[in-house]
Amino acid sequence: MKHTRAVIAGFSILAVTTMAAVAHHGWGSYDASKPVTVDGPILTSTFENPHATIAVKGADKIWTVTLAPTSRMEARGARADVVAVGKTVSAYGYPSTVEMNEMRAERITVDGKTYELR
Amino acid sequence: MTEAAPAIFVAIEASGFGAAIRQSRWLYMVANVGHIVSLMIFAGAIAVMDMRMAGALAATSPGYVLKVARRVAIIGFICLVISGAFLFTAEASHVIVNRVFQIKLALIALGLLNIALFEILIAPKVRDLPPLTPLPSEARATAFASISIWIAVAVCGRSIAYF
Repeated sequence: MKHTRAVIAGFSILAVTTMAAVAHHGWGSYDASKPVTVDGPILTSTFENPHATIAVKGADKIWTVTLAPTSRMEARGARADVVAVGKTVSAYGYPSTVEMNEMRAERITVDGKTYELR
Repeated sequence: MTEAAPAIFVAIEASGFGAAIRQSRWLYMVANVGHIVSLMIFAGAIAVMDMRMAGALAATSPGYVLKVARRVAIIGFICLVISGAFLFTAEASHVIVNRVFQIKLALIALGLLNIALFEILIAPKVRDLPPLTPLPSEARATAFASISIWIAVAVCGRSIAYF
């Protein structure tokens, strides 16, 4: 009995630690110490779950800006027409440490109005 | 959409059903909340069975506890599969290549195998035992395996979003 329990505990610990070693992509992988502001026109807009995303033509490059779930976007007033293609946006957020050119927006400003997304 | 995934999963994500889940204002959210609620129902029922098999609640009739809790666990599992299918379809091409999701699938298979072994080999032996009768040691072993596996499944499930 003691052995069975030890084996099971061992496997559980192994399962959890293996996951830590295969870090790939997620909410944790954004560098909050290097906030960026991306200003420019919206090139593409995907108003879908789990997160709305827009492509923004910034000064240096085209950024993929990850926004919030659509229900939160709606609740904060940032509806699909607010982040539509052709609008000019200013997005403040954190660059991804995994995907080049991707950032997660804390807040966006469109037409002089700021929408908090966290 | 990622092209790294097998074509079938790219197709699932690109399907009208996948798009409908992503574009609906409430469908993804309901599936997400429903998945957690289903997990609570399933895990609660599983925990009752595992505790009984591990020797707790000894004054109850094992056969009766198993019968009632099993029914709840099956309902919870069906709801988990349905809500999980919605969440999976919305992001199939990404999720299928996610390492943590793959570990989770393997652990679910292990959990179901453990259930099958329990139902075939152990449940018939303990079903008709009266309350306060010591259970065979295999019952205890599957109970510890079961609760460990399902907790690991839940840990993996919640971790998919972070890897």
